[in-house]
Amino acid sequence: MTAVQERTADTGRTPGRDRRTWRSGRSGGRRRPNPWPYVLIAPAVLGTAYLLVYPLLRALIISMQDFKLEQLISGDAEFVGLRNYQELLTDSRFWDVVGRTFVFMAINVVLIMAISSLVALMTERLGRIWRALVLSALVLAWAMPVLAATTVFQWLFHSEFGVVNWALTGLGLESFDRYPWLANGTAAFAILVLLVVWQSVPFAAITLYSALTTVPGDLYEAARLDGAGAWRIVRYITLPMVRPIFMLVTSLEVIWTFKAFVQIWVMTQGGPDDATTILPVYAVQRALSSQQYDLGAAASMITVLLISGVLVFYFRQMFRQEAEL
Amino acid sequence: MRFRSIVGATALTLTAALSACGSTDSSAGSDGKTTVDVWLMRDSVSSEFQQKFEADFEADHPDIDANIQIQEWDGIGEKVVAALASNDAPDVIEVGNTQAAQYAASGGLRDLSDKVAELGGEDWLDGLAEPANHEGAQYGVPYYAASRVVVYRKDLFEAKGIDASTIKTREQWIDATTTLNSGGTQGIYLPGQNWHVLAGFIWDEGGTFAVQSGGQWEGALDSPEAMSGMAFYQELQALGQGPRDSDVASPPQTDVMAQGEVAQIIAAPGAADLVVEANPELEGKLGFFPIPGKTADTPGAVFVGGSVLVIPTASSDPDAATTFIKELAGDEWQRELAATMSYVPNKTTLVDAVEDDPGAAAMAVGASQNGHTTPIAPGWATVESENLVHDYMTAVLTGGDPAQEAASASEAISRAMNSAS
Amino acid sequence: MNRSFRLRRLPLYAAAAVTVTLCLFPVYWMMSTAFKPTRDIQTDTPQLLPTTWTFDHFRTAVQADGFALFWRNSILVTVSAVLLALLVALGAAFAVARLRWRGRRQFILMIFIAQMAPWESLIIPMYIISRDTGMLDRLPILTLIYFMITLPFTVVVLRGFLATIPPELEESARVDGCTHLGAFRRVVFPLLAPGLMATSMFGFITAWNEFAYANFLIIKDQDSRTLPVWLSSFQNTFGTDWGATMAASTLFALPALAIFLLLQRHVTSGFASGAVKG
Repeated sequence: MTAVQERTADTGRTPGRDRRTWRSGRSGGRRRPNPWPYVLIAPAVLGTAYLLVYPLLRALIISMQDFKLEQLISGDAEFVGLRNYQELLTDSRFWDVVGRTFVFMAINVVLIMAISSLVALMTERLGRIWRALVLSALVLAWAMPVLAATTVFQWLFHSEFGVVNWALTGLGLESFDRYPWLANGTAAFAILVLLVVWQSVPFAAITLYSALTTVPGDLYEAARLDGAGAWRIVRYITLPMVRPIFMLVTSLEVIWTFKAFVQIWVMTQGGPDDATTILPVYAVQRALSSQQYDLGAAASMITVLLISGVLVFYFRQMFRQEAEL
Repeated sequence: MRFRSIVGATALTLTAALSACGSTDSSAGSDGKTTVDVWLMRDSVSSEFQQKFEADFEADHPDIDANIQIQEWDGIGEKVVAALASNDAPDVIEVGNTQAAQYAASGGLRDLSDKVAELGGEDWLDGLAEPANHEGAQYGVPYYAASRVVVYRKDLFEAKGIDASTIKTREQWIDATTTLNSGGTQGIYLPGQNWHVLAGFIWDEGGTFAVQSGGQWEGALDSPEAMSGMAFYQELQALGQGPRDSDVASPPQTDVMAQGEVAQIIAAPGAADLVVEANPELEGKLGFFPIPGKTADTPGAVFVGGSVLVIPTASSDPDAATTFIKELAGDEWQRELAATMSYVPNKTTLVDAVEDDPGAAAMAVGASQNGHTTPIAPGWATVESENLVHDYMTAVLTGGDPAQEAASASEAISRAMNSAS
Repeated sequence: MNRSFRLRRLPLYAAAAVTVTLCLFPVYWMMSTAFKPTRDIQTDTPQLLPTTWTFDHFRTAVQADGFALFWRNSILVTVSAVLLALLVALGAAFAVARLRWRGRRQFILMIFIAQMAPWESLIIPMYIISRDTGMLDRLPILTLIYFMITLPFTVVVLRGFLATIPPELEESARVDGCTHLGAFRRVVFPLLAPGLMATSMFGFITAWNEFAYANFLIIKDQDSRTLPVWLSSFQNTFGTDWGATMAASTLFALPALAIFLLLQRHVTSGFASGAVKG
């Protein structure tokens, strides 16, 4: 454990890392390109090409065809240009879904980042035993498979025998007696947020906590000697040190919550009355339930565009780090 | 081009290596037999009937190995689509009559028109044969039909001095149910999302789910007729503790009736067997009556549900599949099925098969005098798969404004039905 | 002094206790429901601690159709996908972290973009492709897809780990007479172990969980189904038997919980290291 941690700690502050990175292409230099890197990445590139790029291109083509059940079976479809996109973009229901997706994403990401930052700060201040306890609990919650967690949440919020309704009723909130959570749009939405937050906080908290441990202790000591208060230490030392990781975790959470699908599909299928339909759910509804594969594909393409838009930031961050290498 | 073939070769090598320990190939017969893969739906046959039929079928057709798999209703639409579009589909699939239209139109099913006469097609029930007919060609063979009746506890009715045979109108029904709904007894267990029952109430009022005008469908849940159908549902639903946010399957209403003091449920007559199976003490204590109508002279309208058997185009052995269907949809096994499962057989000429069965008799009253079906259109399947009616019912039952919820549900139905063309 | 110090720390420990409770309660509730007899489950006053214990629900779950087979399928698919991803990613990560070549930047960009692939949306094209190559209904297609889903993340994290291992170590090994490969195997590989563990765990949980493809690409051959599909159909078949459903969920979650808990420290440090590098 300690060895690993030390190494991890190392990476956070090694300024000398660049001294060794660009040296290895020994045999090649400028004379002859070394074939080894290309051999090494070939499987990854080929896999990506066949299992990701190719399906993605097929999806792009489908989104520009008239592609329904009949075409899926027979195999030939008519090219219709951007008609499917036009149909989606002029549909007010689609825009509701887009809006809801951003709301869902924003609420989740804010909650996840706020809670996990607090948990990370708390964990760092705990004694050894409590820290191990908290970390184990986080890891267990994190390891819980999505499908199992979703099933358990359905059971927790069961209208008749659910422990949540029992607890709320016991606290004197009589209106929660047999309250049908998943039948009410807002309540169902809230439960899904709760589920996603519960599942996402452990990863974010653990990563942030690990980042905190890489902040060298002598920095804190120096600040304390200079008479800085707790808040100023957080503001001027902790924050700047963990900022890159914080940003990266935020970006990852943005991707993940934007793509949240299994939880919603298993729990509500986007209902009641569309209240929990976000973009990925909408795309699958279109494709698999209504057999409008063309519109489903178009919705997915728009989703990809939106995510990429949000994540331009993520790439900027990444390349800034890359440049340091 | 060359690039792709390399990719393909890599993928093939990988998969060949992996498949050594992977799937088993089930379709190849070891002793020259052909296997006919059949998908039947859960509860369409009892396991006893299935075993009996399989054994008998294989004895009569020694060259065919019948492999029947039971599928779940949940998510079946996607499953059937995946099967129809594949290269190696099951040979026979049971599909619900309300779903048949879209598959018939898809080109994924074999045209069975030339088998209709041979299978006695002139006597088929219309409600089953029609949805499987597309532009004059027959793509499905009727399997069985069923509709809902009231299943009641004779002992609880007697205890309150109620004679079930006198319940002929809605008023009498509500009165009796109110009387029964006291103490620890539920007058009726009606979950909030039993839309097949709601359908009957709406038809009773003269309403419907959707109307077609000028090639466009329009949702009609917000018509005054449909709304008073919903109002009656709400009134009835309140006379018991049926959950407002779930359907008959969760929890299975037969289990609820088996475990608790429930005076009535609305279900296909076969449900009584499941109740007794779960609680043998109720043997002989269950009775049936047709769902009461608005007036004493017409029984309540009922949804005639049922299934048809289809053969995917991709079936590897359509001849064996036809042989299978010929047996299962033939007169002999239809009589047997009707007797064991209390279904209405697929032909009008076989109705006498259920004469002695009180449940089926009650069902026959409703189905023959006032039977209806959902709009026959490919888009209806979308309405079902998106649970649009379910959501509407729960919204009203949990306190939503009926007019507002009906309007938004109608809008959703219009959209769903028109988009799937 | 000591006492006031403790008192000041009280809110901190309270917060820690709340965190632990909130994290563990759903997991605990799943397991405890699985061990309770049905009459204690379907009650208006749930018991926080089971008073009577029963294995009935586990028996129901294990004896349900094909449980052992689906368990085997899941393990097979998951493990082979993870191993394949590790193997392929190791090469790629080495090339990226240690070698200098044209197209390196583009390759990294590709890996990062691949990380956000909208997998749910690729079901239909993937279905068509597998149909046209005769891969429907067969476990290997799931292996390949899960391999691809986990590959980008694996490359990213392994690259982070490799970058922390000084190349000098390898060089000195080579001076001592090791070959390029030998140096990698004897020196780098052991140091890389935590990274390999962290990534294989991530791959494991992703593949173990996957439902949509398993449900749509395995059609006729029911013997090729995997556990997530079984779990969802189990819920349909057993409906309100929440005891059995929770027992099934427990059995499904158990491998993931066990592995994570066992290798906890590597997860904790491994991901940080990967994330530092992006």
